[in-house]
Amino acid sequence: MEKEYYVCTGCGLLCDDIEIELDGGKVSKVNNACLKGVARLKECNRPAECSIDGAPASLDDAIIEAARILKEADSPVIFGMGNSTSQAQKNAIEVAKRTGAYFDDTSSFCQGPVVEAILEGSIRTCTLDEVKDKADVIVYWGADPSNSHPRHLSKYTYFPRGKERQRGWEEDRTAICIDVRKSDTATICGDKFYQIPPQADEELLNALTNGLSGKVPKVSFGMGPKKILELANMLKKAEFGVICVGLGLVYSLEEIEPLVRLMDKLNEVSNFHLIPMVGQYNMRGSNHNLHEETGYINRVKFTGNDVEHGAHCSVVELLRTRTVDAALIIGSDPMSSLPGSIAKELLDIPVITIDPCNTLTSRKAKVSIPAATAGSECGGTAVRMDGVEVEFKAMTETDRMCDAEILERIMGEL
Amino acid sequence: MGFGQFLKAPEYDIKIITYRDVFQSTALESSGCGDEYAERSAVILLDKGDMKKMVLKDGRKAVLKNNFGRIVVHLRPSSYEEGHEGIGYMTNSPWSNALVSSETGGSGVPKFKMIKVSISDAKDEKVTSFDE
Ligand code: SF4
Repeated sequence: MEKEYYVCTGCGLLCDDIEIELDGGKVSKVNNACLKGVARLKECNRPAECSIDGAPASLDDAIIEAARILKEADSPVIFGMGNSTSQAQKNAIEVAKRTGAYFDDTSSFCQGPVVEAILEGSIRTCTLDEVKDKADVIVYWGADPSNSHPRHLSKYTYFPRGKERQRGWEEDRTAICIDVRKSDTATICGDKFYQIPPQADEELLNALTNGLSGKVPKVSFGMGPKKILELANMLKKAEFGVICVGLGLVYSLEEIEPLVRLMDKLNEVSNFHLIPMVGQYNMRGSNHNLHEETGYINRVKFTGNDVEHGAHCSVVELLRTRTVDAALIIGSDPMSSLPGSIAKELLDIPVITIDPCNTLTSRKAKVSIPAATAGSECGGTAVRMDGVEVEFKAMTETDRMCDAEILERIMGEL
Repeated sequence: MGFGQFLKAPEYDIKIITYRDVFQSTALESSGCGDEYAERSAVILLDKGDMKKMVLKDGRKAVLKNNFGRIVVHLRPSSYEEGHEGIGYMTNSPWSNALVSSETGGSGVPKFKMIKVSISDAKDEKVTSFDE
């Protein structure tokens, strides 16, 4: 009998080799996934309840109330998306257009600038399958996939035998880690770990660009020119190199330019690609879908046929400046992922959540609508961290609606 | 009731760097914001030398505070071989986020990675809970 494989929605790697066992219609065993994936694919310990003002409500009433809140709001924001199927994201964009809402996703304070540079063509990228088959130099910068994307190294980058890399990590591949702390990934990289002080990433990016341009690379911290040149040379000699960019690097850069300059230089002297270490399983899909619709990847406001865009449309600034008077939050938990000093503003406006699980945000929401878990209970498509579209099917049946359908119902009530 | 409790615990300035931990994110998936997640999130790892200097003991609790928030977390020495004086490590969570500045300079991106706080012994205070 041919084996059936499923997709894990535990992170942006969307591993597509998951095997499952069912017991009484529920996922009882998950094979091949990492710990985090198994936890995602089994049921939430605390499923979200359908409620209005904290009291149990019927799904129909919750949907009608959600639509009422959005209709009556002057400036609603629709936020989240990283854990939603592409269809749900498209439906959410329609709801935003209809209600003249702000629309933003988690990439707004994560990988947004990197994905934007890739979609605009200013940074060269490749797929993880190419990395598996061809990459000989893999750089993890400000990223610790051993904890954030546990199968990144084993499925695609360092350990596997690829078409042109039959001898894997032992002989064919070099993994380099640049970080402010000796993470688990840094330990795997052994003597190819380059520790830098916090906020020193830009300096090292510039020093590497200089080193590759024949200038003496200098930094203000204890990494001498020799050590920097040794790193620059490893990058230069790569036949197929990839930089996997983590939040550590993204957060320490004011602007993306120093990274773009290094990538340009690397591609003059070598062959380099960049992949953002996208966290949530379909955050990149949200960027792609909004980009297709508006030309922007996040941070927009729909007004009639116009689309406004900028940092002032980001969820952080909207909350900070108290610009919005209602929020629809889909598959996201800003009460725990945003700074407390900013998230607290959500307590003063009506919030609607659509989420499979009970979260800090859903507990404070005026309307909480439970959704099926994408990947285990509902199928769809998503965009992997490297931009590849992945289709997935449900593992079990559920009577809970998928987020796409809930949004369609809300749209119908508007 | 000892006299010590009326004395203000000495405060020291440190910076917090946040990181990801697979066991902690798994706990979030499987238990929501429950006990296991709290156990793995409400912790600060300090440099061993710093702990000595600040007379803070393994297994006790610490108050971390700044203009943006105040939390009580478990205190442990880090297992890093290299010293990291003046820097504490915390996993990314509502606890670390409670201390992140609301100042963004209009950029839309909070400063999640370098959080300045003062640290002191929490005496008998309970670890902060978000799971009410
Ligand atoms: S690495 Fe990510 S996608 Fe793969 S099994 Fe783990 S959580 Fe799931």
